[in-house]
Amino acid sequence: MNKGRQFALETENLSLWRGGDQVLHSVNAAFEHGAVTAVVGPSGGGKTSLLRCFNRLEEPDQGRILLDGVDIRTLEPSLLRRRVGMISQQPVLFEGGVRANLTYGLEHVGRDKLEACLRAAGLAPAVLGRDATALSVGQAQRVTIARALVRDPAVLLMDEPTSALDKDAAARIESLVGDLLEGGLTVVLVTHDLRQARRVADRAVLLVDGRIRAAGDFDEIEASWPDFREGDAGA
Amino acid sequence: MKGVLVSLSLVALAGGVSYRLHLRQERDLLIATIRACAQLFVVAVTITAVFESLGLSGLFLVVMFGAAAWTSGRRLRGVRGAALIAGASIGVSSAVALIVLFAAGAFPLEPQFLIPIAGMLIGNTMTATSLAGGRLRDEIESRRAEIETRLILGDPIPTALMTYRRRSATTALIPMIDQTKNLGVIALPGAFVGMVLSGASPAEAAQVQLVVMFMLLGAVALAGMVTTALVARAFVAPGDRLVPPSIEAAGEI
Repeated sequence: MNKGRQFALETENLSLWRGGDQVLHSVNAAFEHGAVTAVVGPSGGGKTSLLRCFNRLEEPDQGRILLDGVDIRTLEPSLLRRRVGMISQQPVLFEGGVRANLTYGLEHVGRDKLEACLRAAGLAPAVLGRDATALSVGQAQRVTIARALVRDPAVLLMDEPTSALDKDAAARIESLVGDLLEGGLTVVLVTHDLRQARRVADRAVLLVDGRIRAAGDFDEIEASWPDFREGDAGA
Repeated sequence: MKGVLVSLSLVALAGGVSYRLHLRQERDLLIATIRACAQLFVVAVTITAVFESLGLSGLFLVVMFGAAAWTSGRRLRGVRGAALIAGASIGVSSAVALIVLFAAGAFPLEPQFLIPIAGMLIGNTMTATSLAGGRLRDEIESRRAEIETRLILGDPIPTALMTYRRRSATTALIPMIDQTKNLGVIALPGAFVGMVLSGASPAEAAQVQLVVMFMLLGAVALAGMVTTALVARAFVAPGDRLVPPSIEAAGEI
């Protein structure tokens, strides 16, 4: 592990058990500042659990996670979660307007900022006045991205953000992930689809059965997971 | 006794009609009638003994309370420490009401007042505990993604759960609120009818009925609040997060 270099996120010997089954096995991984790192691997390999540990929706049984070199357990969970935003597989919007969803739990957010975040998520500012429950799934997912951006996160966790979307909507989400980096954001993208990871991410971590099999560029990942070439790793 | 026999003839009439129309309710009617007679006979004998001793009254209340906590605890299956939560909720809300009423002298501290008043309190707070706790458990289990979204957006967990706690506490309170609002309009309440049948004036009966309704309203509201606070707590894990669902319920890991 690159000694002396500080990463946006690092895990040290992270292990997680659930109901007697070990989900993560001494996971050591590092996620660079201002880059998109994909966590790839087959379904059930622990990718989502790892992601959920980053904002303490899951609590590892062993090891620790560092955010900019600071153990996240020393941070107030609600403050940690505003610094480490998360996009889920299925977009969850609350009843009410898009504006109310974007400003949920926040005070005094200006219209300019809301519109800028909507644009960054690939949505027109006019969406601000719409009913959140009337949006398509693709639009709803982009509103959740805008909602995360309103909080000025340092890290954005994306858990299979296109799995509930059709091909066109998925392509639109993929194309905007790279744009998110302009503000210095660090993105961790969980996907079972190595092709998508290659299109979107700078590097990847391969997680199989809760263990890191490889980390680095996609040539290394492919070499450690030959199935990828044969199309077993996702459409 | 004559009254009992006359009322029983109505059940017999219902049984006859059921037989004639092939509704097959005769057996249920018979069993219900026999059970009601046997149970009330036992209760009458027991209460006669209990009414003569404050100590026995206390024991009777403990048995009633234990049965209520057990019953409600079973309704809260799936919640960590369900029986304890049910016991705490029923116990605290009933005890507060009893202490206030008897300490203020609303009723004399005698077994014939203590037993029925405590019985009403325990019964009603048990229902409220089951309703509020069961609803909150179902809300948390079925809306896990929504609650976690609130956490992800920076809500502390008490805030993230508040909407569901409020809804659940209201669920417990609705039957009592409706009863209180419609007191004497839709149906004449039990205490009022009982007192009037026993020869009390309607004004006296109304006064006692109001005391009973307000007592129950307060206790049920308190039970709803205590239950939802404790059930919510049972679903919270250290680090402001929800307790993980069971392995069977979990999908992607």
